[in-house]
Amino acid sequence: MLKLQNVTVIYPDKTKAIDNLSFTLNAGENVALLGDNGAGKTSLLLAIAGVLELAEGTIEIDDMQLSKKTLNEFRKRVGLVFQNPDDQLFMPFIYDDIAFGCRNFGMPEEQIEARVEETLSQLNISHLRNRSSLKLSCGEKRMAAIATVLAMNPSILMFDEPTAYLDQKARRLLVDTLKNLQHEKIIATHDIAFATEVCDRMVILKNGRVENSAAPNS
Amino acid sequence: MKHRIHELNALEQLSSGDTFIHRLHPMAKLLSAVFFIITVISHDRYALMQLIPYVFYPTLLMALSETPYSMLLKRFMVAFPFCFFAGMSNLIFVPAPYGVISFFTIIFRTYLCVMAVLLLVSTTPFFEIANSLRFLKIPNIFIVIFEMTYRYICVLLEEVHSMYIAYSLRSAGAKGIKMRDMGSFAGQLLLRSFDRADRIYNAMKCRGYALHILPQNGRNFMLKDFIFFAVVCFFCIWFRFKGI
Repeated sequence: MLKLQNVTVIYPDKTKAIDNLSFTLNAGENVALLGDNGAGKTSLLLAIAGVLELAEGTIEIDDMQLSKKTLNEFRKRVGLVFQNPDDQLFMPFIYDDIAFGCRNFGMPEEQIEARVEETLSQLNISHLRNRSSLKLSCGEKRMAAIATVLAMNPSILMFDEPTAYLDQKARRLLVDTLKNLQHEKIIATHDIAFATEVCDRMVILKNGRVENSAAPNS
Repeated sequence: MKHRIHELNALEQLSSGDTFIHRLHPMAKLLSAVFFIITVISHDRYALMQLIPYVFYPTLLMALSETPYSMLLKRFMVAFPFCFFAGMSNLIFVPAPYGVISFFTIIFRTYLCVMAVLLLVSTTPFFEIANSLRFLKIPNIFIVIFEMTYRYICVLLEEVHSMYIAYSLRSAGAKGIKMRDMGSFAGQLLLRSFDRADRIYNAMKCRGYALHILPQNGRNFMLKDFIFFAVVCFFCIWFRFKGI
């Protein structure tokens, strides 16, 4: 379970990206973050991943509070898939990109290999193993970016605009893939049809605050 | 431009090979390369003939690791103008025939050193080289700069590529970038690259990248690694003090 209490994030130029926001992600829940551009969706995801520092408030996962001491453990439990897969794929091979997180967390090489293979087959992208990200389509890059996070075995998955750059076929594949993943998910998106299909709850953000929260069909 | 980015990646892609050299411990390869370079550099500026036996190292490594010579030679050609102009001063200021000998010594020495480094990179994954440097207690700041530069060169080239396409599509067939646009082009490139690099760094941090962490390597230094290192050291010392 993820719990945010009175979280405020302020950028160096004094812009309040998140303003006193409280939010809970219950066990097994999939939540969509909706809102206009600049509403604070990406900032919220970055704050949960510990990339943006909190000016105020607390973030907790299963009673572990986000702090400098717990940052690494926190990042093990929370996986963030960025909006642009090119930001996430920077190694010569997809294999190395997927292994990157596991290596940083000190996993032995044999285990890393097994984990990478498992993730590749879980997402049906084993054929991308030895490919360079420079030669992939947007749909393939998106799947590879998800694999980089999935390999770390996080309990919560966060996605920033996952349907961006995707055609209908790749979008369909993504919907099916996300439905099959048993993790708790937070998905920042503008795509309401996608959110309705994948998520149990929609949270609407406005000016860094929760404007409304409801089930998709209510 | 895309071709250049692929070329840049090609050498590192070779590092995932599965030959005897690829399977050696990264520390053995790193230390051998460093030892080889130090020995080559330690020779006198007129020691052209004494340097010839050192060809054994790049030749042997190239053959054993199945690294294509043309790929390495192409990259050496990037370094060639630097050593060529450095050597030119010897031709001018040092009387013949010593100037000529010194000129060729500089070029040959550069060739050997660059080849040793290229072979290290083409047979050892990048993160393993960085890990070995950390293990050798090289200051972390140097390793981080090394890692970041290496990662961001491709980012920079990709940004240049997309900006150049956008520019050329609206430049009415003009070739290259006009001088008057160069300032804003370079400025925008810097800002965009900085922004992109920041996002990549965030993605790295989200996957546990921390500047001070030393991830496990998972490989032990074995007898074959020690033998490889010892053989390279033996021949280097032999050529340095005894010659052929």
